[in-house]
Amino acid sequence: MKNKGLILGLFSLLALVQIVVPLSMISNRETIIKEGVEFKFKTAPIDPYDAFRGRYVWLSIKENEVAVPKGLDLKHGQLVYAFVEVSEDGFAKFLSLTTEKPRGLAYIKAKSGYVYKGKVRLELPFDRYYMEEGAAPKAEKIYRQHTSRDKQDAYLTVKIKDGMAAITGLYVAGEKIEDVVKKVK
Amino acid sequence: MNKKALQWFYQELPDLVNKGVLSPDAANKIKEHYGEVKVRDKKWMFLIVCGVIGALLIGLGIIMLIAHNWDDLSRGARAFLSILPLVIGQGLSMWVLLKRPNSDAFKEGAAIFLSLMVGASIALISQTYNISGDTQDFILTWMLLIAPLVYFMQASIPAAIYLIGITSWAGGFWDAPAKALFYWPLFLVVIPHFIWSLKIKTYSLRSTILSFVMAASICYGAGFSLGRNWPGGWVIINSSIFTIFYLLGNLSFDKITINWQRPLRFIGGVGICVLMFIFTFADMWRHLISAQEHFLVKSSPLTLFFDSVITTVIVSVSLVLFLHVYRKKDVLKILFGVFPVLTIFGYVINMNTVILSPLIFNLYVFGLSLFCIMSGIRKNNLSLANIGMLILAVLIIVRFFDSQISFIIKGLVFIIIGSGFLATNAVLVRRKGGSK
Repeated sequence: MKNKGLILGLFSLLALVQIVVPLSMISNRETIIKEGVEFKFKTAPIDPYDAFRGRYVWLSIKENEVAVPKGLDLKHGQLVYAFVEVSEDGFAKFLSLTTEKPRGLAYIKAKSGYVYKGKVRLELPFDRYYMEEGAAPKAEKIYRQHTSRDKQDAYLTVKIKDGMAAITGLYVAGEKIEDVVKKVK
Repeated sequence: MNKKALQWFYQELPDLVNKGVLSPDAANKIKEHYGEVKVRDKKWMFLIVCGVIGALLIGLGIIMLIAHNWDDLSRGARAFLSILPLVIGQGLSMWVLLKRPNSDAFKEGAAIFLSLMVGASIALISQTYNISGDTQDFILTWMLLIAPLVYFMQASIPAAIYLIGITSWAGGFWDAPAKALFYWPLFLVVIPHFIWSLKIKTYSLRSTILSFVMAASICYGAGFSLGRNWPGGWVIINSSIFTIFYLLGNLSFDKITINWQRPLRFIGGVGICVLMFIFTFADMWRHLISAQEHFLVKSSPLTLFFDSVITTVIVSVSLVLFLHVYRKKDVLKILFGVFPVLTIFGYVINMNTVILSPLIFNLYVFGLSLFCIMSGIRKNNLSLANIGMLILAVLIIVRFFDSQISFIIKGLVFIIIGSGFLATNAVLVRRKGGSK
C-alpha cells in the first residue's frame, strides 16, 4: 500500500524530531556544564510542588537587581542581557545590563521584571532546583536552621556560557544539599 | 429509526412469531422493510475503552515515577531514562502502524501512550538540568510534538490531550493577547481530524468526547485571546460562540450520526441559558464597560487586527446559522438563535441608556420560557415544558433578589410556582398515559 509507506515514512520523521528535541535539550545543557564559567549566587530555597516535574525547591536569588541604563525604557518581560561579575565576598552580582547581545564578558540572558527606583528585578533562567520527593521540604527546613537574619549561607552554583545558564549545585553551609538531606534521615 | 429500538424489536420478533402475533412472512417483511441493523461488536468496543484507559494509566504512572526524582541516578542514567520511554512509545506505535493498522484500539492506545511519553521525556530533562519553570514553553513543545500523531494514528484522545494543552498554553498568556491569539491557528490543526471522526460512524464515543473537549476549549480559548481591547465585548463573543454550538448541534446532516451533536447542543444550550440570566441583571449592563477597564491590555495594531478578524468570523457564523434556522421557521431554534442578535442590540443601546438592555433580556427570557411551556404542553413534551417552567422560575427568583419585595409575597410566589410545576407535570403525565 502506497499510503501506508507514506504514513510510515512521515511517522519515522516525527519520531526522529521527537527524539531530537529532548536530545538537543540535553546536549545544550551538557555543553554549558562542560564549557561554562561557574558563578555562585546567594539564594533562599522555598518548597513548592510541581505536578509534572516532581518536587523542587524554589530559588529566590538574593542579588537579582541591576540598575537600568539611563534612557532605556524597559518593558515588563523584555529580553535583556545582564553582565555578571564576582564581588569581594566571592558571590556573583550583576554589573549592568544591555538589550543587545553582547560579546566577551560573562552575561546571562534574562527577562526584565518590575522596575523600581531605577533598578530592574531580573527574571533569571534559574528559579527551581529539583530534588527527590520528600527531600525538598527537608532541604527548606535545613536551610531555615542554618540561616539567621545576618547570616544566610545558602548558595547556588551556576555555569554560564554565551548567556545560557545551567545549575550545577545547591549548597547549604558549604555542603551539597543532597548530602545534607541524607544526614538528616 | 432508532437503532436500539430496532435491535430490541428484532430480538422480540421470534417470540412474536412463536406466539402467533405475527406470521413468519410478516416478520420477514418487517426485516426487509427496516433493513439490517449493524450490531456493534461489544467486545471490540470494550477493547478500545480498555486500551485507552490502560495506556492513560501506564503513561501517567511512568510520569509519576519520574516525578519522584531519583537523586541517586547520575546525569547519564537520567538522560538515558528520559529517552527510553519515548523510544518504547515510538516502537509500540510503529508496530501498531505495521501490524495492526486497522485496529482502533491499538492505534488509540499506542498514540495516547506516546503522547504522554513525549511529555515525560521533556519533563525528566527539565528536572535533571533544573531548567527554569517556563511552563508555557514546556506545554507548547509537548503539544507540537504530539499533534501529528492525531493524523498518523487517527487517534482522537491525543487530539483531546492536544486541545487541553493548547488551551492551558493560551491561558498562560491572558495578559499577552499577541501570543494568546496563536491559540486559533493551533486549534485549527485538529479540525480536519474532528471532521473525519464525525464522518466515521463506527466509533461515536470518541467523537463525542472530542466534541466536548473541543467546545470547552473554544470557550476558554476565546476568553483568553479575544476582545482584550474591547470593553464589554465578551458578551457578544460568548453569546455568539454558544449559539454556534447550539445551532450546529441541531443541524441535521445526512448520514452523520446524531451522537456527536449532543455535546455541542448541550454545551451551547446550557451556555446560552447561563448567559441570558446574567444579561437580565441591570448591574451587569451598568458596569459592563467599567468592570473590564482594569483588565484591558494594550495590543499592537497587528494583534488588534487578528483579534477583530477572528471575532468578526465568530459573530458572522452565528448570524449565518441564525438566518439558516430562521428560514426553516423552527420557532424554538429561532428563539435560541436570535440570542447574539439581541446581545449586539443590547450592547449598542447600552452605550446610551442602561435601562433598556436588561429590560430586553428579561422580556426575552420570559418569552422563551412561555414558549417552551406552551409548546411543551401542546406537543405533550414533558421535558420541554419543564425546561420552560425552570427558566421561568429562575427568572422570577433572580428578580426577587434584585428588588425590595416583602417575604410574604416572595413566599406566596414561590408556592404558586411550585404548584404550577406539579400541576403541569401531573396533567402532562396523565395525558401521556392516556395516549398510550
